[in-house]
Amino acid sequence: MSQSLEAKVEPEVVLDWINKIGSDSSSTVPLLQAVQSKYGYLPRVAMDLIIQNSDISGSQVYGVATFYSQFRLKPVGRHMIRICHGTACHVTGADRLDTSLRHILNITDEEQDTAENGSYTIEQVACIGCCSQAPVLVIADEVSGNLTGANAQRALKKHAKKNEEIVANI
Amino acid sequence: MEANNLNVIVGEGTCGIAAGSKEVIEAFRKHAPEMNIRTVGCVGMCHQEVITEINDGNGNRHIYGNVTKKTVPSIIKFHKGEGDLPEDQLIFSPDNQDLDKWRYLAHQTRIALRNVGYLDPTSISEYQARDGYKAIKKILADMTPEQVIEEVKISCIRGRGGAGFPTHVKWNFAKQSEGDIKYLICNGDEGDPGAFMDRSLLEGDPHNVIEGMLIAAYSFGASKGYAYIRAEYPLAVKNFGKAIKDAHELGVLGDNIQGTNFSFDIKIKEGAGAFVCGEETALIASIEGDRGMPRFKPPFPAIKGLFGKPTIINNVETLANLPWIINKGGKAYASHGTEDSKGTKVFALAGAIKKGGLVEVPMGTKIRDVLEDIGGGSSSDKPLKAVQLGGPSGGCVPENLFDTTIEYAAINATGAIMGSGGMIVMDESTCMVDLSKYFLSFTQNESCGKCTFCRIGTLRMRELLSKICDGHGEMEDIEALEELTEQIKKSSLCGLGQTAPNPVATTLKYFRNEYEAHIKDKRCPAGVCKSLITHTIISTDCTGCSLCEIQCPVNAITGQKKVKGSYVIDQAACINCGMCFEVCNSKAIKVE
Ligand SMILES: Cc1cc2nc3c(=O)[nH]c(=O)nc-3n(C[C@H](O)[C@H](O)[C@H](O)COP(=O)(O)O)c2cc1C
Ligand code: FES
Repeated sequence: MSQSLEAKVEPEVVLDWINKIGSDSSSTVPLLQAVQSKYGYLPRVAMDLIIQNSDISGSQVYGVATFYSQFRLKPVGRHMIRICHGTACHVTGADRLDTSLRHILNITDEEQDTAENGSYTIEQVACIGCCSQAPVLVIADEVSGNLTGANAQRALKKHAKKNEEIVANI
Repeated sequence: MEANNLNVIVGEGTCGIAAGSKEVIEAFRKHAPEMNIRTVGCVGMCHQEVITEINDGNGNRHIYGNVTKKTVPSIIKFHKGEGDLPEDQLIFSPDNQDLDKWRYLAHQTRIALRNVGYLDPTSISEYQARDGYKAIKKILADMTPEQVIEEVKISCIRGRGGAGFPTHVKWNFAKQSEGDIKYLICNGDEGDPGAFMDRSLLEGDPHNVIEGMLIAAYSFGASKGYAYIRAEYPLAVKNFGKAIKDAHELGVLGDNIQGTNFSFDIKIKEGAGAFVCGEETALIASIEGDRGMPRFKPPFPAIKGLFGKPTIINNVETLANLPWIINKGGKAYASHGTEDSKGTKVFALAGAIKKGGLVEVPMGTKIRDVLEDIGGGSSSDKPLKAVQLGGPSGGCVPENLFDTTIEYAAINATGAIMGSGGMIVMDESTCMVDLSKYFLSFTQNESCGKCTFCRIGTLRMRELLSKICDGHGEMEDIEALEELTEQIKKSSLCGLGQTAPNPVATTLKYFRNEYEAHIKDKRCPAGVCKSLITHTIISTDCTGCSLCEIQCPVNAITGQKKVKGSYVIDQAACINCGMCFEVCNSKAIKVE
């Protein structure tokens, strides 16, 4: 599965970012942010391109990439689901959102976070700042609040229908 | 009333968007294209989003809450004189300014939040119309940096980022230190889960924060500024970016501001998701492009900070108070509050509270008044049990201490801290041991790993808490937790580790009985810890609707559709996820 999700990296795009953003070590975070915002994760090829074409060392790139929770090294599905696990969401039932969405996406393995068909990736995040509407989740870029496990599923089904994605356990 | 003289104002902060503001605006465009539509940030009444105001331009305001695209037509009809007042949605009207829903705002004193929800954050002229950029013009025209610091000293404002350090003292350090260039950083990392006032200010009133930065920069001679905004806040990044651009065009940001020799510019740095980056030295490392590892202080950033230069880091809310302080005077600010804590503080109310949102109250207000008068009390039929203040660095204040006044010293005396102002309200359905485990998992995950006590100590604490939640706890574990608390506090390098044990310390202090129930009786009184609870179906209450069967993620529920009382849960298969409890409409699921 992950094979097919690997992003195709065009070297000229990465070189262009290095030109625009900078090639010294203070540019590490913004460069990786540029890569991730395009590909959804940090493809190895892109990281190597940065290391080879800037003054940033490999240990710096990997050190930074593994330190911040925003960065991921694994490919992602076509759409991201971010489930808030901040305090307010935790005490109002964020776990149930997780359980129910993993269930309908049939993501059974705890180590896994992407549906088998590459449609959705579930990510746990700390506080999206919408705590008064906890529990909260974000599908693609859309925030929904005051959710139960059941209406989280409904929100996902709606999104899937609109985007012609297949959700396993409906 | 003529519909084309009417202004529609829709709250469109992140919370408004989450509640459907885009659809509401679309509905107004469709049903009343002649009305002028404006969007503003979140006024703080998040529990009533989408909030919409209809205003006739003569100061006559009607404010509605919980507006959806379906209820828009009834609002339009009333204002065209064709229908009745949609009373159930009304929050405020010229004839009825005393509605219970309006008390939320009426009980507040808004200084930092004074513009949020009232102005369009993308419009610099609206900010100017509300005294915007008056303070910076005033100080450039007739105040020396020393006078600015003196005014802020008179206001007695202390940093709102958590530690509560007097703002003018910090500025003085940086003023006295040598450097060809000095930096000011606006700390918009807001890592504390449960607090969202910085988001609201950055996205709802960005010019106010920029003006606050200008005032701070002028006071100690900074020429460059960074706004470190967490990446989870895309709207804040967007609105703040536009505000910087517009401020440039207006000539209040950039080189030789207002024709003086004061120059100051701001760059946005997006955070990348690390709680520890809110700590000053870690934040500096992060802007320099590194992993956000804190370092030992001294030297303090005010002497040697970003790129080795004198640097001041101020919280968003601290900065947002400054233009008001300059315009109205430090004395006016200090007239609010108590001896030890002056001015106002913004709190983010969330959790088991009826009216969640942002509130700004004078220091010295009782916790109970915030939760009950403004927040409306418990949102469930269960009474409130505690409120968590200060997030992962803070602690729980139990209900019997709700008369504590909001002041630095009084709150510290309970074992909690003021922190950045997150208030997570809890009723009996929150398990205090589980909550402590949650916070320890958080700090353990977020520890940068540099010091052993913080890295390993928090891991040990979390393991002990997991053991107790799983029903394998022993009484010795409580002693071990207490000992680790002392050790980690003493031996950690930065504030993250030094405060990490606080959630455990306060819950042990006030809710020891819950720990003991888990250990001695193998029981979770709140019905949260999965290993200690069971879900069963009360057959006399079961209507046979089959919802639980459909929802159960592990197919542990079986029964016959439409046959009352036929459903049962296979205990061996049940994972106690609580989905059946959540969907059952007839309260037939028992958790114990
Ligand atoms: C682990 C840790 C996290 C912190 N997170 C934040 C934060 O998210 N926002 C913030 O303004 N201050 C945070 N602080 C406090 C800052 O280090 C600093 O004291 C504050 O930004 C100074 O601004 P003030 O004087 O205006 O309060 C944090 C401190 C620690 C130790
Ligand atoms: S805790 Fe979930 S949005 Fe803040």
